[in-house]
Amino acid sequence: MGAKILDSLCLTDQADYIDVMHAILKHRGWMTCSRAMLSGMTVSSFRFTVHRRLTAESTTAYNWMAEHFLAADFVGITASQAAGFQFEPTFPLYQKQAISDIKRSIDRGIGAVIWKDQFVIVVGYDDERKLLYYADGTSPTNGTLPYIEWGRNRSPYWYYQVFEERLAMDELAIYRESLLQAIYKWETHDLMLPESDYACGRAGYDAMADAMHSSEYDGNGVCEIIRYYASAKKDIYEYTTVLQKIWPELKSAVEAYDELAQIFETMVEMTLSIDATQKFAAPQVRTMIHLLMNAKQKEETAIEQIKILVRETINNRFNDIGLR
Amino acid sequence: MSVFLQDLVMKRESKSYTDSVYAILTAANLFQGPKYLLSGLTGMAFKFSVHQQLLPMSVSAYGQWGNEHKPAIDNLGILTIFDAGRVRHHTFPYYQQEAVNAVKSSLDCGIGVVYWIPEFGVIHGYDDGDRVFYIQDGCSEESQIVLYDNFGLNFTTFWYYQVFGDKVDIARQDMILESLRLAILDWETPFRTLPNTDIASGKLAYVYLCQGLKQGSFNTHGAVYILDSYMTARTEIRDYLGDAQGIWTELDEAYQLYGLLAAMIPRMNDCIRAHRGERQVDLSRVDELIELLTQAELLEDQAISHFRHISARYPDLKRTTIPRWGSHTPR
Repeated sequence: MGAKILDSLCLTDQADYIDVMHAILKHRGWMTCSRAMLSGMTVSSFRFTVHRRLTAESTTAYNWMAEHFLAADFVGITASQAAGFQFEPTFPLYQKQAISDIKRSIDRGIGAVIWKDQFVIVVGYDDERKLLYYADGTSPTNGTLPYIEWGRNRSPYWYYQVFEERLAMDELAIYRESLLQAIYKWETHDLMLPESDYACGRAGYDAMADAMHSSEYDGNGVCEIIRYYASAKKDIYEYTTVLQKIWPELKSAVEAYDELAQIFETMVEMTLSIDATQKFAAPQVRTMIHLLMNAKQKEETAIEQIKILVRETINNRFNDIGLR
Repeated sequence: MSVFLQDLVMKRESKSYTDSVYAILTAANLFQGPKYLLSGLTGMAFKFSVHQQLLPMSVSAYGQWGNEHKPAIDNLGILTIFDAGRVRHHTFPYYQQEAVNAVKSSLDCGIGVVYWIPEFGVIHGYDDGDRVFYIQDGCSEESQIVLYDNFGLNFTTFWYYQVFGDKVDIARQDMILESLRLAILDWETPFRTLPNTDIASGKLAYVYLCQGLKQGSFNTHGAVYILDSYMTARTEIRDYLGDAQGIWTELDEAYQLYGLLAAMIPRMNDCIRAHRGERQVDLSRVDELIELLTQAELLEDQAISHFRHISARYPDLKRTTIPRWGSHTPR
């Protein structure tokens, strides 16, 4: 029986996975870089996936087990994680295992990532009261989650990840790998998602434009998608700006990402001008499609430039550029 | 500290993974019954994969292991934790150390561990003094030794281990239904190790096998290994379905079909002959073998459509909910 709450581990705003990871690693003293840098190094900002009806779920519709393992691996952090459906008969066994792993992480002074219909940080636990304390960025005080409620979400998933050690990494190797993975993300569909319902990377822009054109989209979803990816594109711009100091050849890619981020800013402004439950009016749809096609072109240009920079490694990886 | 689980004996009869799990779970009293029951319930018996050149690796190349083995063990109601990766990745030394600790604590609890030797085998003991694990491959009576420092190192560049925990009871009928769904998925998914398309699964595996045999330039040892494993699995499926009679009429019919298939196995076996002490496909009987396999594919296809009818009668949350894992492993 024990209890512990980690001091000064919190989130300041509504958070995604990278915010949560960033807060935990920073609190542990393993990471001093900005969110944008972490987002780039972990390749998270390069992921672009949309449901073809532009539902808000798009922004978390990816292979958590694969991508979050990699996010940590890319930056030299080792981790353990597990995930499943809460409707499976074995869920109670995994719930017990999760609580035990999470508590051990807290005891080591490291926050844990869990899915509570969004990614949140577990900052403490109390065995007497049988509950976890978590921070989700919406409130300055910690929320409480009874052990027995852990994993019982509105969405069918449970998930947790605990970080274990930090290994020495060569910074240049991290940056180079992230650029290779950026190409992979741009060109490759996530096998976990049915292609009839989801589009990834380059194809994501066409899917968004199609949805706009046919008016078959979710009004709230499209605002959330644009807001989320606008922040990602801004991260990419900041990240590649730093990388340009090492590889000046990235100059035109950085310029393209700058323009890309600005296009998304314009789209964010457009979403503010409509009531979120309403559809865009016809002239706005035309503008939106124009912006999307423009954005696709910018990102294509940037990726072409990156490919020139890392062409030798691309050739070494034959037909599977993502495979390290 | 040292541990040596005496009662844990692995015997190669089925797929190496099935043999490993069977040895571990029966010794730990987490599973009771014949091996074909385990092979059926886990869906392992239905896994069938063939490399274009009929390489021996075909038999264990039925998918990304984590994604295949997790649902298999889930259906037994047993908690399982596995880890795997590529030795060349920079985090390997850390994960190797973690794995050594996890394997030892499982053995401390008296439960063996699945380990990729290759192929799959069991770790049934350790000795901290010599810093070694004791390993069985199911073929040799003697335990092999793997140094802690060499854990996971092998010519395939992959490492893999899997431990087991507590168990919940799942109703027998639910387990059987789930196993049929695992079978359907394997039958219908042509490629389980995308982006590679040189290994086919399920229905398409028959095509690769027959084409490979027809072309003639196949791996001789691999061809026999694939066929042996294939014939064993079909016998297992027949016995498994035989035990599951009386629940659904479609399953009774599927049992009849697998009975017909299993009855063809002696003739398939006749197409393999000893050559200089090694069994090989008899090249003069390749056409006959292909003909038998073509008939078998048809029977199996009919059996699977019976499975589909059963499956369609019950909701299937596991396969109608898009997951947040599986399909591909980390790069």
